[in-house]
Amino acid sequence: MRVPASSVLFEQLALPLLPALYSHAFWLSRNHAEAEDIVQETIAKALRAFSSFQTGTNFKAWIFRILRNTFLTSRTGIAASRTVFLEDLADLLEVTDTNPSPEDHLLRLNNQAALTEALERLHPQLREVLLLCEVEELKYKEIAIVLDIPVGTVMSRISRARRTLYEDLRQQLGGSV
Amino acid sequence: MIQDHKHLSHDEASAFIDGELSASAALDLEQHLTTCHSCTMLIVSAMQLKAATARAYERVVAPPEALSRLAAQLRPDAAKRPARVSFGLWAWGALAASVILVASFIGWRQTRQSNNLAAELLDQHLAVLSSGAPPEVISSDRHTVKPWFQGRLPFSFNLPEVLPDGTTLNGGDLTYLHGQPAALLLFNIGKHRASVFLIQRSRNGSASVSSGSQSGFVIQYAKTQDLGITAVSDVNPSDLALLMSALVEAQSPR
Repeated sequence: MRVPASSVLFEQLALPLLPALYSHAFWLSRNHAEAEDIVQETIAKALRAFSSFQTGTNFKAWIFRILRNTFLTSRTGIAASRTVFLEDLADLLEVTDTNPSPEDHLLRLNNQAALTEALERLHPQLREVLLLCEVEELKYKEIAIVLDIPVGTVMSRISRARRTLYEDLRQQLGGSV
Repeated sequence: MIQDHKHLSHDEASAFIDGELSASAALDLEQHLTTCHSCTMLIVSAMQLKAATARAYERVVAPPEALSRLAAQLRPDAAKRPARVSFGLWAWGALAASVILVASFIGWRQTRQSNNLAAELLDQHLAVLSSGAPPEVISSDRHTVKPWFQGRLPFSFNLPEVLPDGTTLNGGDLTYLHGQPAALLLFNIGKHRASVFLIQRSRNGSASVSSGSQSGFVIQYAKTQDLGITAVSDVNPSDLALLMSALVEAQSPR
């Protein structure tokens, strides 16, 4: 039986991304079995929709978007999305301190446990955008495709995620700056 | 655009460390940093945080077996199979598969039981033919053969007063089928041998006749109200059917 060229191309494009897809699915769901389920469903959906994918465009962003939508419609995803994220509250988490000393920063950032806790407390949507940026090293434009939001929103969301982390670390470590 | 008199925003700092600023905007920002200590510290802090976050959020390594399953799903031949995704779909699929499996197993078992019985009957028929040993009761007289089984079988049967032309009774023996005692009657139909097995059956089944063949031998089945009768022979099926009819007829109450 002759294998369609599109199937071969899909395999070539998707195979190298499996570890990244799995990792991201795990970070979203925090569960290995669910991560595998999400990636499986993502592959199935992507295969069905592959004819609509334009060769030459960003396959990673395209399939990560399918993965994200798959997660959001999963049980864990639905539960996580119940917390409303208000994009408008731009200055809610504004860090008031604009002049911390370098020692303060080093103290905070060298404390990996404190950072891990801060990351855990981060709103899922802020954590998600950081993951795509720091772990998957996607460009803002690619993240915008994945999250289906404007590039400007990606920028502000990443920025807010970092400020939230700073604020959390400051409170955890009792910084008085 | 970063102005000399204005500190950079957090958004700009993030975009700068992520390499998302345009070349000209990045150049402006770098120039600003040469003269602004607070903005430089903000960038340094942001870069440290970025590195620390990347360390904390290392990519999770998928279990090898999970990766193998996922990679298998990518293969074109596997792609046509619906992927296991949600638990619900999986559960229903598994349930359907179980039903099919159980149904297949029952069907297989029935077929196998039927085949087993046929094979067992044929084996016994061939054993009688090849052993050359005489049956326990050697007689062409039905009045001798029938009484011999009394006390040896938990049921009774009748032998036809008249057998079809060319058919003779050679004798009988006690045997077992599926652990149940059965009467084995030996006939000659012309120059062919026929083994007829009679076994007790429950009364709730309806009488019927059916036939089949195995390894070139004809096997005919008949059910009466009390008995299951099976004949095995290499004779012409119509001649065997005449004997079966006579046997079935003999069981009918007079």
